[in-house]
Amino acid sequence: MTEKISEFPGTPLSEKDFEQKKTLFNLDELNGKFAWDTGVAIGRYLDALKDGVILGVHCSTCEKTVVPPRTVCEWCFQPMDEFIPLQDTGTVNTFSLCYVTWDVKRIKEPEIPAVIEIDGASPLHGIMHMLDEVEPEEVHIGMRVKAVWKPPEEREGSITDILYFKPFEEDQ
Amino acid sequence: MNMPKNNPREGGAWHGDLPVTSRYSFGLAGERFYRAIKDEGKLFGTRCDKCKRTYVPASLFCERCMHELDTWIDVGISGEVHTFTLLYEDLDGNRKKTPEIIAFIRFGDGGLVHRLDEIDKDEVAIGMRVEAVFKAKAEREGSIQDISHFRPID
Repeated sequence: MTEKISEFPGTPLSEKDFEQKKTLFNLDELNGKFAWDTGVAIGRYLDALKDGVILGVHCSTCEKTVVPPRTVCEWCFQPMDEFIPLQDTGTVNTFSLCYVTWDVKRIKEPEIPAVIEIDGASPLHGIMHMLDEVEPEEVHIGMRVKAVWKPPEEREGSITDILYFKPFEEDQ
Repeated sequence: MNMPKNNPREGGAWHGDLPVTSRYSFGLAGERFYRAIKDEGKLFGTRCDKCKRTYVPASLFCERCMHELDTWIDVGISGEVHTFTLLYEDLDGNRKKTPEIIAFIRFGDGGLVHRLDEIDKDEVAIGMRVEAVFKAKAEREGSIQDISHFRPID
């Protein structure tokens, strides 16, 4: 917490308060099922993650390699030429210390989302992911990081097959 | 070389199931307002003496002077039809033969939107006095639906 605030103000409600009906509330459960067609490029990208590979795609006209892959080059509008396996290492391009979770719970230890320029892709091209195994105050732009993967049998072709990125030393 | 062919190993679609569940708690004033409906069958408002306003449903703050309100007033269960409408369609858009009568019923300087019943649609009039008909106590769960409807006072 900060110097001035040791605890959050207000009267937070806990899961128990709802379960035991200590508080009155209105419940809504909407149907949020969806299926999103991953297409050629992202489909193959997710598939490669299952094999522990971050896949990029190369345009030989522009000499650019971008990640995540797409089917059309956004500079020359020509079809991309070939998929290229990239390294699972990279450089922190930007990051944030996030003190709320995705479902807006306040947390004391921040989550650290970052944009990571992936080695093997053209400069400034990368993906967004989480950093971990690092103190928040030690994170910096330009920091070298490496992917920490789920065990192969647990991977399902999702970006979360990479658990997070952690700092690494070049000579290790 | 041309665009790569689709990979037969690909699943093709990303399946998701968003947990779109919302639990809306009524807040400090709302909690007390709905508890009173559930446990006592009473309607409460809060009074701002400075602005000479009685808020119904009860509000924690005066929306005019922003002052916190702690004067709770039992406003009774009868109010006045401020305006009303006849609904000839249900939630799915199906035509209904007998309309549902929805009214804004005035209490204090505020009021409630609710349905009118035990009355012929042709007899509903602006200004008529109506009273709340509560569900049986065991069926109440702390909701505006704990009032089953409003009916005219003879």
